[in-house]
Amino acid sequence: MIAALARNELRRLFVQPLAWVLLATVLGVLAYFFLLTLDACLALLPRIAGMADAPGVTDLVVLPVLRAIASLLLVVVPLLGMRAIAGEHQSGSLPLLLAAGIGDAQIVLGKFGGLFTFLALLVALALLLPLSLEIGATLDLGRIAVAAGGLILFAAALAGIAVAASTYAQNPVLAAMIAVVLNLLLWMADAGARYQGVSSSFINYLALPTHLEPFLHGIASTIDIVYFVLVTAVALTLAAHRLRSLRMRG
Amino acid sequence: MPESPLLRLSEVSRVLAGRVVVAGLNLSVEHGSVLGLLGVNGAGKSTTLRMIAGVLCPSAGQVLIGGKDLSEYPETARTKLGFLPERVPLYAELRVDEYLAFCARLHGLSGAAPAKAASTTIERCALGDVRRRLLGNLSKGYQQRVGIAQAIVHDPALIVLDEPASGLDPLQAAGIRALIAELRSSGHAVILSTHLLPDVQACCDRVAILHGGRLRHDGPTHALTGTGTLRVRVQAALDAEAWTALKSVRRADRADAFWRVELAAGAGPAQLAHEIIGRGWALLELRREEPSLEQTFLRIASTDDAREAA
Repeated sequence: MIAALARNELRRLFVQPLAWVLLATVLGVLAYFFLLTLDACLALLPRIAGMADAPGVTDLVVLPVLRAIASLLLVVVPLLGMRAIAGEHQSGSLPLLLAAGIGDAQIVLGKFGGLFTFLALLVALALLLPLSLEIGATLDLGRIAVAAGGLILFAAALAGIAVAASTYAQNPVLAAMIAVVLNLLLWMADAGARYQGVSSSFINYLALPTHLEPFLHGIASTIDIVYFVLVTAVALTLAAHRLRSLRMRG
Repeated sequence: MPESPLLRLSEVSRVLAGRVVVAGLNLSVEHGSVLGLLGVNGAGKSTTLRMIAGVLCPSAGQVLIGGKDLSEYPETARTKLGFLPERVPLYAELRVDEYLAFCARLHGLSGAAPAKAASTTIERCALGDVRRRLLGNLSKGYQQRVGIAQAIVHDPALIVLDEPASGLDPLQAAGIRALIAELRSSGHAVILSTHLLPDVQACCDRVAILHGGRLRHDGPTHALTGTGTLRVRVQAALDAEAWTALKSVRRADRADAFWRVELAAGAGPAQLAHEIIGRGWALLELRREEPSLEQTFLRIASTDDAREAA
């Protein structure tokens, strides 16, 4: 039933213009950014060619594009996930799910599954841009694969937050705003600490970039994987709890 | 040993925003029966139906579906019911057939069963002409029928319908009544909440009347219908004794230009008409006065209104 709900969610995303518009916008912005970065890289490469340990194409082009994907996801995921439950509230279709023989956690997982599948597709399409460099250059594909895994985990955490926000707001726009604010808070949680040169405090651990950056540099550590899984799990648990309280409070 | 009811509500109450919306409700529904739930706006009908459907938890009391406590086994209990809320739960961007197949999957059907169930339900609810149309483009009447279709697509034992004939034309409403009769004959139990008293009289075995969140009446429909008084107008000048001399009349009262006639036990309007014609009184008009169901409903509502006003 989770799979049925996820498939339905994905189908509904694809038959509505919002998802296509966002997909096209993200890919358009990334393509423009990719070309600008590539142009800058081509100008820089002859000047650093003789340097020892000179950065390669992966560092100069792929890494900035991956960071750009992550930055865009901070805003795009809330917009894609805002209707998950808040949209059902607004259209009056929530009783269909609440009266079905499916638990609150299953409803949340189904909603999350649909959104996450769409995001995985979006990340895969976005990665095709930097991967196209493989035609004329040598890329560090292992590092890009680890970065892709990190971006997927990052997208999962944002999807969890979006679904949770959508259960707490009865209006999709409000749900999107809540999710964007939460994403930005987690993104910039340690900005002050970093400004003061602190990089290993608890506040650093809470921030999303602390755990995403190692992936983008090709390092997959357990602590970073656990962080993203934990954020996703906490968000989805809160969402399921909220659905339960909707039944209780009316 | 008597079979336990399909649905049993024991002392069910619900408080919303500090207001008691439903209080101490006891109700049961047997297999293959249709219960009509009546009440004025705000009587607690929709809240009761939402509690039965598991959308809302009772503040107190117990809801048992097929012997399973809805609070202890929510998923298992909910697979036994289909629910049409007051506002039809539709996804405007989906087609009728894919929406119904999704609803079937949501209720636990898998493999080829959802598509087959959707197809069968489309035929049953006369939705064949619109099966490939988007739900958002359907008329109100068709949307209502799709709403009913989603409630029965998984063939549940108990079907809960909140205002199913809302927004339908008389022909479509008759179709809904026929569908409810068909569901009953195939062993399903139906709870029908409506403002349309003729629908209750036509479809329901039992009537429950809610008012102020309390159950004010619960009994068989036939006990409330068919025993109403008749409004009779004849050309002959008569007195009350002349009427009571008829075998079919228990009591007669003059009311302006007509007589309000109460039938004797076992007598029917046809027998009364026969006797009037036989005596040459020139029958001008004979029709049933306000149905007793309506009288009962209005009496309950007005009594409480008066009590509240006091």
